[in-house]
Amino acid sequence: MKLSADFAFTQGSLGDYADCPRRFELRYLRRMRYPALEVRQALDYEARIRKGQRFHKLLQQHLLGVPADLLARSLADDDELRAWWEIALSKGLDGLPRERRAETTLESSLAGQRLLAKYDLLALEPGGEAVIIDWKTGARLPLRKALANRMQTVVYRYVLASAGAQIYGGPIPPERIRMDYVYVAAGGARLSFPYSAAQMEADETRLTDMVGAIDAAAEFPLTEDERRCRFCNYRSYCDRGEAGDFNDFDFDDAEEDEDALALDFDQIAEIEF
Amino acid sequence: MLVPNSSFSAEQAAGVFAAADEKVWLEGPAGSGKTSVGVARVLRLLEFGVPAESILIFLPQRSLAQPYLEALRAPSGYHGGQVAIHTLGSLSLRMVETFWFLIAEEAGFKHPQDLPTFLSLEMAQYMMSRVIEPLLDQRDYFHSVRIERARLYSQIVDNMNKAALVGFPISEIGARLKSALAAGPEQAHIFDDAQACAQAFREHCLARNLLDFSLYVEVFKQQIMGLPQARAYLRSRCRHLIVDNVEEDNPASHRFLAHLLETCQSALIICDRDAGFRRFLGADPQNARRLRRFCDVSLELKDSVVMGAEMQALSNALAAQLGAAAEAQQADPRLAIISEAHRYHPQMVDWVADQVSRLIAEEGVAPEQIALLAPFLSDALRFGLAEALDKRGIAARSHRPSRALRDEPAARALLALARIAHPHWRLAPPGMDIAFALMTAIDGLDLVRAALLTEMLYRGGKLHPFADIQSAAMQDRITFELGQRYDALYTWIQRYIDAKQTLALDIFFRRLFGEVLSRVGFGFHRDVDAGNISMNLVDSARGFRWSLEFMSRYDEPVDLGLEYVKMVDRGLIANFYLRDWLADSDGAALIAPAYTFLLSNRAVDYQFWLNIGSDGWSRRLYQPLTHPHVLSLQWPAGAVWTDDDERELDRRTLRSLLLALTRRCRRAVYLGYSELSESGYEGRGLLLETLQAALRRLPREEAHV
Ligand code: SF4
Repeated sequence: MKLSADFAFTQGSLGDYADCPRRFELRYLRRMRYPALEVRQALDYEARIRKGQRFHKLLQQHLLGVPADLLARSLADDDELRAWWEIALSKGLDGLPRERRAETTLESSLAGQRLLAKYDLLALEPGGEAVIIDWKTGARLPLRKALANRMQTVVYRYVLASAGAQIYGGPIPPERIRMDYVYVAAGGARLSFPYSAAQMEADETRLTDMVGAIDAAAEFPLTEDERRCRFCNYRSYCDRGEAGDFNDFDFDDAEEDEDALALDFDQIAEIEF
Repeated sequence: MLVPNSSFSAEQAAGVFAAADEKVWLEGPAGSGKTSVGVARVLRLLEFGVPAESILIFLPQRSLAQPYLEALRAPSGYHGGQVAIHTLGSLSLRMVETFWFLIAEEAGFKHPQDLPTFLSLEMAQYMMSRVIEPLLDQRDYFHSVRIERARLYSQIVDNMNKAALVGFPISEIGARLKSALAAGPEQAHIFDDAQACAQAFREHCLARNLLDFSLYVEVFKQQIMGLPQARAYLRSRCRHLIVDNVEEDNPASHRFLAHLLETCQSALIICDRDAGFRRFLGADPQNARRLRRFCDVSLELKDSVVMGAEMQALSNALAAQLGAAAEAQQADPRLAIISEAHRYHPQMVDWVADQVSRLIAEEGVAPEQIALLAPFLSDALRFGLAEALDKRGIAARSHRPSRALRDEPAARALLALARIAHPHWRLAPPGMDIAFALMTAIDGLDLVRAALLTEMLYRGGKLHPFADIQSAAMQDRITFELGQRYDALYTWIQRYIDAKQTLALDIFFRRLFGEVLSRVGFGFHRDVDAGNISMNLVDSARGFRWSLEFMSRYDEPVDLGLEYVKMVDRGLIANFYLRDWLADSDGAALIAPAYTFLLSNRAVDYQFWLNIGSDGWSRRLYQPLTHPHVLSLQWPAGAVWTDDDERELDRRTLRSLLLALTRRCRRAVYLGYSELSESGYEGRGLLLETLQAALRRLPREEAHV
């Protein structure tokens, strides 16, 4: 395996590997950009992703000091977004520790690789609780068990426990960590996942095994479960059927993908050469 | 330990291990190990326990971040937050976007409650064209200027960027250019027109929440820096500064850094001596030096860790020939040059390919340690070199950031097929474009058969089914299998036309790609380059759609697909994407314009300087509407630009270019010369003159050039 020198594992890349080693290979090893559609209803998909991104941005702006009423004025033409925003403000931030950090990234090392987590919000109190808030805009609540097992839950808590000492003011006992998924499109329903030293140990073993397996892999086979191909844009590369349906798509995953629909502004300042 | 003590010279160590509250100025030539100090300094700060999120690495260009990114991602790395890496552009954009609702009204935007739309360079040029084209026709602007319209727009954009970066209002563009350059009323008119266009464009942007680079830098300077929330954010995020290649940055960056330096806890400012080759992008090395006064300690690195003794001697000899102080030579510079004169250009290309092949096969040089450089890289030269290398089994990669995206085969094919699929645009492509598109789209179809298919099945702007070929012999010649593939493509397009449900153009490209072109039997199947180029085209078309959709709040809606294709036709879409530029370089020789190579800031063992007779090595582009020197901070008000200034500029440009190149070359430079250039003219530019004169000054042996 040859990952680029600036590569870091994330919940997204590990999730891709867990879903399909070939997808991991194409996306992260061969860095192949591939414009095929994820779902048939491309514009609906795009609008939904953009709205989710806008929502995350609003909360970030607010936590950096832009007053809520000013932000609310920009939502006049979007009832759904305004509803999410109001729920996030009224229910999402309730009872959280004082110190709040929006869009914070933490990095740690694991099995000779870098592991990175980008948090929507970290709320902590030195010596007290350390809460991870992850905003979700999907309307359907997933099963608690599935969410507990989700790569995001595993990676986010583990990285905070192993790399959060500086922002916490000392090592964070895993028992002080909690991860809350807040479903703003489901009335602000909150699914909380506390942490523990035993869970951290189990997570470390799981993550180390995964990273080790990727490191040692000589081949990256196609997934045997073809249902995983439905929303994968490499379908035509792998000869694996047609695009899936928008209504079956799980936006919880796409919400964490920073690059989804990102425009590249690095080209901006360059004049002919 | 992240930073081993033993691997640095005493001067380097003084920079790396400076106290966590010290501000250090570090200067030296390219290749003296300055960036290594910068990288180690960041790791050292982290080792000190400095929070990663309080460190800012500030660079003139994103591509220079790679060594920092790689060090920070090293497996033995630290645990904690993330070090921020920014350019002035990226930081301004992020800050303006975040604090938009607090500053939009004060900054003069007409719809402060609406979101902003940030314009990429191509979008800025497009918007410029929308504003200016009516003026060109109605008011006869620029009637005496004979350049492509795309270049006209880019120079007006450039003037506005210079105003923001240097720090003067756009209302002064015309006056500044006129006082230095206007030889008569005709030229004065041109600058007045350029001024009027810049102002019209700015008003257009303010009325629609559009922000091009110049405007968001301006808003960052004027509004964001005065905002308490933004200042608090910057104070917490920029307590420790690492600034690399400060000489390649512009006065606006320098002012911002001066502001940070007053309050930050520690800093390392790295300045490359004798550089500043990004002047055409606003670099101001003289102004950069003023930041030295904020530093507690000044360090200097003198010795190159890149160049061998002969290369060092060559570097000195060339610089001395162009006016730098001569240094005592420790070695014979001729040993760092290999050259051969040719009569015709293709002979030179073959010689270059032979030499590359020999280096790899006989001397074991890795292909990525070879850079083939020319002042400009025409398609013919790029193609000729790539083909000559390919024949010898050598992989090459080339990057020319300002090459139009429409010139890439995959993009060309997608665009031609889009025209057929949208007959209501009335932009049916010529037969040659269709033949080319079919050849690219269908695996196994060569140009001869593609041309035959086109001749028989492309009529009146429409494709027809394979069965329409009456002659069995002709069907056999095409082959049944290729005919089937053609039919699959034809059927897909025909169904799309019949459905009469026009898709957004980027979605059309994605569907065509995913449902046909990337399937087995088609040209894009498992082709990484085709995938990347198609994705760049999709990104570009989508960015276009988003900007214009948003603007339909303020303006009459337009047919977005048609408008996009017209924009491509006008040459406004380039392939400026950094991610392609940074694509893996292992195993391939680089073919690039010299400045593109420099902007990636890496050294190689061997360089080939091609077309050394060309005056493009020293002469700036013909830019009748702008002037990087007159619009700089260093230009004295009221001074007139003379022919002597131009000649002196040529010399200085060439000197800094040659210093920059030689300092990024470890072993030798091959000089590619042909008496007749690519276009058949004899060229005797300043580079050739300089090489000959420098070598003539050496004792005894004959000059090689
Ligand atoms: S299409 Fe299926 S097999 Fe191919 S990469 Fe995607 S998930 Fe894996």
